[in-house]
Amino acid sequence: MGPKTVNAKGDTVYHQIPAFRFLNQDSVIVTEKDVEGKVYVADFFFTTCPTICPKMKTQMLRIYERYKERDDVRILSHSIDPDFDNTSVLKDYANRLHIEAPKWNLLTGDKATIYRLGQKSYMVSAQQDPNEAGGFVHSGAFILVDKNRHVRGIYDGTVETEVNHLLEDMEVLLKEQ
Amino acid sequence: MKYLLLLIIPFFFSCQSKEEITQQQYSVEGMALYKANCENCHQADGSGLRDLYPSIQQTKLSPEALACLLKNGKKGNGFMPANPKLQALDIAELMTYMREKWGGKKQIYPADSVKLALQNCR
Repeated sequence: MGPKTVNAKGDTVYHQIPAFRFLNQDSVIVTEKDVEGKVYVADFFFTTCPTICPKMKTQMLRIYERYKERDDVRILSHSIDPDFDNTSVLKDYANRLHIEAPKWNLLTGDKATIYRLGQKSYMVSAQQDPNEAGGFVHSGAFILVDKNRHVRGIYDGTVETEVNHLLEDMEVLLKEQ
Repeated sequence: MKYLLLLIIPFFFSCQSKEEITQQQYSVEGMALYKANCENCHQADGSGLRDLYPSIQQTKLSPEALACLLKNGKKGNGFMPANPKLQALDIAELMTYMREKWGGKKQIYPADSVKLALQNCR
């Protein structure tokens, strides 16, 4: 999914998630290298979000529990309130949710970089909005990314049946080389 | 048979006291408010989500403290967002619903008591 471009040789170049560099809840640097050869699910959230995040986390836990033992699956949850959600806030959140890195990374970093990555690369809305409950507007999307960092599906992470589809598609992507 | 029912139904309602009817009204409104404002985190059955969102099936809070918590939320550790849009009546309805669902008590928590509690929040 995503915009295609044509390179100098005239070959079609498919949209790919670019290189990134963030910190996770263990203050460990996470980059695109950490998802190399892995299928991963990305989403955008913030720890004090009163609206859709809890539903998203309930659904993301299903994915986490299902692939807990598999090394070729990762989850990247990007905070869109990284100034507040520093690594210690994220660590506390992870502990209380009973989840662990590197399987499920809660990521923080430069706000503008995270917003740009969300909007341009993962094709979801993520920005500050003082009119919104909690102060941020963001989509509840789960983005499914294959082993080559191509976006292969976008699902509503607040809806159980949508996440069922994600889990089905995940199986297909895991079989790909 | 139909006519018989028509005769019986008003009878049935008249057996309920005004208080019971008000309690039911509060509880029904409270259920909708719970769905809109609380269920996302605390879940439909009030069980919460692991240690992230606590279970609300039991509470040690006094009704006054609970009213303040629902309105003002909690800062810092165990953060809960405030609900500035909820008025005293909304909170009374919510508490009546929660009391019936998890406290097993069909007893109204009056809006007046909420109003008073909210004036004295710490």
